[in-house]
Amino acid sequence: MDANALMAIDGLSAHYGDFQALYDVSMRFPKGKIISIIGSNGAGKSTLLNSVMGIVKPSAGKVCFAGKDVTGKRTSAIVANGITMSPEGSSVFEDMSVHENLLMGAYLPEARKRKDSLLARAYEIFPALKEKEKQLATFLSGGQRQMLAIGRALMSDPKLLICDEISLGLAPVVVGDIYSRILDVNESGVTVVLVEQEVKRSLEYSDYGYVLVKGRVVMEGETKDLSEEEVKEAYFGTGKYA
Amino acid sequence: MGQRFWNIKTLCIVAAVAVLAFLPRYGSDYAVNIGILVFLYMSLGQMWNLLGGFAGLASLGQQIFVGLGGYTLALVTQEYGMGIAASFGIAVGVSVVFAYVISFPIFKMSGVYFTIGSWIVSEAILVFFRNWKFVHYDAGYNITAAYKIPMGALYLGALAIGVGSIALVYAVLRSKMGLALMAMRDNESAAEVRGVRLYRTKLFCFLISSAYTAVTGVVLYLNIAYVKPGAAFSIDWTVCMVFIAVIGGLGTIEGPIIGAVIYVILRQYLYNFPGISMIILGSVAVAIILLAPKGIMGAIRGRFGVELFSVRRRVDERLE
Amino acid sequence: MELFVQSVISGVLLGGLYAAIGVGLSLVFGIMGLTNIAHGSFMILGSFFVMVFSRQLAGSIVLALAVTLAVMAAVGALTQGALINRVLDKGAEPALLVTFGIAIVVQNILQLIFGADFKSISSPFASVNVVSTKWVVISGEYLVNFLISAALIFILHFIIRKTWLGRSIRAASGNVTAAELMGVNTKRTYIYAMCLALVSGSVGGMLVGQTFGFYSYSGMSYLIIAFGVVVIGGMGSIVGTLIGGVILGVAQLLGAYFFGPGMQIFIGYLTLLVILTLKPRGLLSSMVRK
Repeated sequence: MDANALMAIDGLSAHYGDFQALYDVSMRFPKGKIISIIGSNGAGKSTLLNSVMGIVKPSAGKVCFAGKDVTGKRTSAIVANGITMSPEGSSVFEDMSVHENLLMGAYLPEARKRKDSLLARAYEIFPALKEKEKQLATFLSGGQRQMLAIGRALMSDPKLLICDEISLGLAPVVVGDIYSRILDVNESGVTVVLVEQEVKRSLEYSDYGYVLVKGRVVMEGETKDLSEEEVKEAYFGTGKYA
Repeated sequence: MGQRFWNIKTLCIVAAVAVLAFLPRYGSDYAVNIGILVFLYMSLGQMWNLLGGFAGLASLGQQIFVGLGGYTLALVTQEYGMGIAASFGIAVGVSVVFAYVISFPIFKMSGVYFTIGSWIVSEAILVFFRNWKFVHYDAGYNITAAYKIPMGALYLGALAIGVGSIALVYAVLRSKMGLALMAMRDNESAAEVRGVRLYRTKLFCFLISSAYTAVTGVVLYLNIAYVKPGAAFSIDWTVCMVFIAVIGGLGTIEGPIIGAVIYVILRQYLYNFPGISMIILGSVAVAIILLAPKGIMGAIRGRFGVELFSVRRRVDERLE
Repeated sequence: MELFVQSVISGVLLGGLYAAIGVGLSLVFGIMGLTNIAHGSFMILGSFFVMVFSRQLAGSIVLALAVTLAVMAAVGALTQGALINRVLDKGAEPALLVTFGIAIVVQNILQLIFGADFKSISSPFASVNVVSTKWVVISGEYLVNFLISAALIFILHFIIRKTWLGRSIRAASGNVTAAELMGVNTKRTYIYAMCLALVSGSVGGMLVGQTFGFYSYSGMSYLIIAFGVVVIGGMGSIVGTLIGGVILGVAQLLGAYFFGPGMQIFIGYLTLLVILTLKPRGLLSSMVRK
């Protein structure tokens, strides 16, 4: 699966001052697949994403997207290659309407040209947003915000969609709903990376999984080969991972 | 870092002050004049730094107190025929009362609103003085009492003001209030919890800084010997306070010392280039901020970890 | 009574001009949290450009303004790109001091070139009265000032609300990381915002130059008016500046009406302080942010 990976992360390390948050992390995100990155709070998931997206400058390692080195570039420049991220805590533009939030997703020139069809697609995937079109994002519920964040990310017509902690603080029904939408998105050819704390659901929805503990990849593999028990042991540092 | 090291430091500081005190005897008039300016501007810088650097009150209105100091001196000596010494006491009284009164409106404002509000107060005072018959409208005063003061005496006065300003800020920071200030400077939200105490601490700093700025203003106007609203309440005073504090390093005691030396010497030197002197001064300010956003002292600390006046000691002691 | 009505009307018209002076300051604060001390000086720089260019361009004020706006946009891009962007993430004080330094440099360059003499820009409407009855007189110049300023405010409002540039500016002001994730280069957005601020400031500068005159150091006194307008209207609110300007203008002229012309400015400041005391984040702060 190495050769035609859409994104390749090699030996990535990151520091906050003296504190090292990532150690030599390497990953492959193959085209068209759903990849999950599983880890508890403080495992380094956010640092990993922030380093990939240029929000944090990595101290070592390389990030390549579609064969192009994007390590440490400005976030907006990385995004311009066709990568997009739905940020943790579904941070939407509070004082913009739902419609304007979605439009912001299509800011880049390529997407801007096709904003109408992209907008139609986003509303098709998340009909709930259509009803709230004119409302300010600040008045949305948690689930609606999450949908808006993902819908907005999709507006850029990305090749790679990274979703940071979709299930955080949401009711299981809502999470299930959002996950099934993500499957639809993946069907249409978009590579998806799910970053999650929740083991079961991540394994259920993804093709390939990585387990991140204390800034290191401790386990990886096709999800069909990974047992939930074993992942949990790695995750919590119990059993043979103790 | 034992007691002993601290004693050596104290000794050095005492020796430095003693040496400075003898400058008028051996130095040229020019050097003495530079000395006067450095000490007084350093005092202004220290007082602004106490507000802007430690108490989080970035005021653009401290020129009020320079002006009040100047006018107190003028009124006390010209209108009431009292001695110069009386004007120090009265300047403190007037400025504390005034600072206390304006603290009610401007302490309601926070952040940039406080900054702007304080400036508006000072502009209002300026306009008021220009329209106030009691202070001769825009004409101002010649402060004739100041003519008789020998330069050496003025120098010693300025030195006392300068050393006093350092001692004052140091004492405030080492006090219980200082502990709260340091906590606030380092982590605003953590200190925010104790709201009432925070308010009192800020008010206390504001009163002290304002009163001492006024006292400094008295000595400044002994040197200038002529007071007029436009100059006395000019934003330029605060511009130079901010320059000195920020260039030297906000939130450090050493900063304003370095800042004042740079400011005064640069300014004196630039008198040789009339017309472009302020352009150069402004450009230097911008350049230093771009190169060392934490000021010169911040850059030195970052690189060498040197501190002359360690106000953190107390925090460390408590933790140990 | 006539004089009272006259004061209110003139105050409203004057307020329009004040809004043009303040709107750029509000914009820059709303977008990047920067208190731009150099705003007034840049405005006066605009006044000087209009004056010089209109002499060069056979007295055409429109052409002169057009050239000025282009030049000032470049000045804004340079200031933001080369200086302010570098210190914005270093805290409030460094950025504030940089603009302080810029203000001093700009003032003194103007002083060096033009001296300290009072200048003015000739206005085609200077001595025309649109309305002239026994009750009130409306000067053509004040009315034109108001209309141009109002137009300026609404153009800026339109740009911010309805265009891609405006949306990207609002995105960057709300959440830098999220804006970058949309592909918005926020540093470049700040440059555009500063250009808009200086362009609008220059329009204010031209109007001020026609109505009141100016000299190299006028910037600081207009800066405080700009601050006043923005403080009443709420930092970052564009339409708020129009309301803020009108309130300040009316307060000043009523102050002059009740207490004599010497107190015009003083009453203006007093009004500001009272408003700030009652509403420490500006009069309209609860209603709007943008």
